[in-house]
Amino acid sequence: MAEMTRSRIAQVLIEGDREFLKRLCGQIGERYRVEPVRPPSRTLVMGKARDPVSGKPFYLGEILATECTVAIGPAHGFGILLGEDAEKAYELAVVDAALNARLPETAGWTAEFEREERKLVERWKKDQERVMRTKVQFDTMEDSYGNRL
Amino acid sequence: MAYTAVTGGKEAIAEAEKLTEFFRLKDAQAILTVGMIETQLRLLVDRVMGEGGLYAPGYAALALKQAEGDPAEAAFLLRAYRSTLPRNHVSTVIDPADMRVLRRISSSFRDMPGGQVLGPTRDYTHRLLKFALREETMDDAESFLGKYREETSLPRERPADLAEPATDREGRAALPAFPKIADLLRKQGFMKAAEGGRAEEGREEEPFDITRQKLIFPVPRSGRLQMLARGETGAMTALAYSSMRGYGAVHPTIGELRVGYVPVAVPYPLDEGGARGEPLYIGEILLTEVETIHPFTQNASGEALFVPGYGLCFGQNEVKAISMAILERSLETSGTAPAQDEEFVLLHIDSVESNGFVSHLKLPHYITFQSSLDRIRRAQRAAGGKEAGEGAPEPQTGTPVGVKTETATAAAGKTAEADKEALTHGSRAD
Repeated sequence: MAEMTRSRIAQVLIEGDREFLKRLCGQIGERYRVEPVRPPSRTLVMGKARDPVSGKPFYLGEILATECTVAIGPAHGFGILLGEDAEKAYELAVVDAALNARLPETAGWTAEFEREERKLVERWKKDQERVMRTKVQFDTMEDSYGNRL
Repeated sequence: MAYTAVTGGKEAIAEAEKLTEFFRLKDAQAILTVGMIETQLRLLVDRVMGEGGLYAPGYAALALKQAEGDPAEAAFLLRAYRSTLPRNHVSTVIDPADMRVLRRISSSFRDMPGGQVLGPTRDYTHRLLKFALREETMDDAESFLGKYREETSLPRERPADLAEPATDREGRAALPAFPKIADLLRKQGFMKAAEGGRAEEGREEEPFDITRQKLIFPVPRSGRLQMLARGETGAMTALAYSSMRGYGAVHPTIGELRVGYVPVAVPYPLDEGGARGEPLYIGEILLTEVETIHPFTQNASGEALFVPGYGLCFGQNEVKAISMAILERSLETSGTAPAQDEEFVLLHIDSVESNGFVSHLKLPHYITFQSSLDRIRRAQRAAGGKEAGEGAPEPQTGTPVGVKTETATAAAGKTAEADKEALTHGSRAD
């Protein structure tokens, strides 16, 4: 199993089971003092894409997001997600701070992240299978008449 | 060019606002919730996000509710709102190759690796009104959804050439891969490779930003693409269509059109553990991407290559993405057709500018018209004829030139923005 990067963890926490993130945040919140450094607030993220013709980037447009920064002792944590969700941004920041602080509660989290990720990927695969039912094979008239002969 | 402001009318304007609310609600059978608009008018929401330049489905739905369904007004509301928010992050490069595909087709290649997937489309349906929708209930919706979910959860034989999930990969990478057709053409030497090659991200020049930098023609290609990405769908379609009909030189085939969810990440902003700058996933956005293939050209060394065109926009908005690809290619060609004129295309496809400028004609132009009256009188006197309107009461043309007022209506705001933008671009004709 490859290393769970910060980005993969964020994907699991944002797209996965809502209760999972709540539970992890709760585990930390009930045992440690979480200081808000920057309370949840709306921000814009400028989306950058790449123009395959020139190979250079261009700005596609802005994306609404909510971000939050907290501290647990000397360790800071940052949470950000698309859309408007102050509670989730805060919870993401708390989990991030706990990981940065290497709190003992996080010792078993990697296995949990991996389990949640597998569930998420299974869900995505099911969605994909639904889409793949619309896979099409167009025949040219030549092929079609040829098949009938 | 001369402008003057008018004063007064505050009470009438306040009453007009109330009357608008009255008309919005007076025949309502139920209150249309923002959630209903977001989930059931998704293509309109996508269009407004694209034209407003802000990916925020809930806010686009709210803007549509407030604007009673007028997409131009909704895009304007969204753009005005975005100007109140800080922009604290710029994403890492969003790559549609990582898309969770909902739809992927090609009009050039029948058998493309990964296959063609129609996805949610009305392309092959009869355009007949479904009268049953008039009586649709939640029970009907739930019944359909239940049956559909059951039907699609049943195991189905996998076609032999279906894109196979990569079994040795984890996370998102384990999903079926859909290679980009244009990349395959480039690898096989049929299509021009990216002109400048790819610099390492973080070291390359930041793109031009039309929301922060003054627009001076010719616009850098990155600014051009940004303008096209937030262009108005109808205007772009009309101009792209003009090019295809002969007022221009571009009539492509679609190498690939894909619609789906693409991950977005921002550089991690904290120093913890030396992680600053590491990509951090923040969610997925729905995008439509189009790569067009244009008739091949031969370069100086006799090499024959297809020429690509590129379109990318928020949401599922296929005609806009195709039009973007046609227009960006058209602007790379030289000629006298409107679709080949950068200033003409870019300044006329912006919804806020074009709607604002046309709408501003509704606002008082008394001084302009008074001066026209003066001129026509002088012309008639010079011709020795009787002046029209002689003996009729003088029209009340309003305020002296230069009086500033506070008629801060939405329309006035729109005019101001349109005027400001138009002046910036030096295109005022008034």
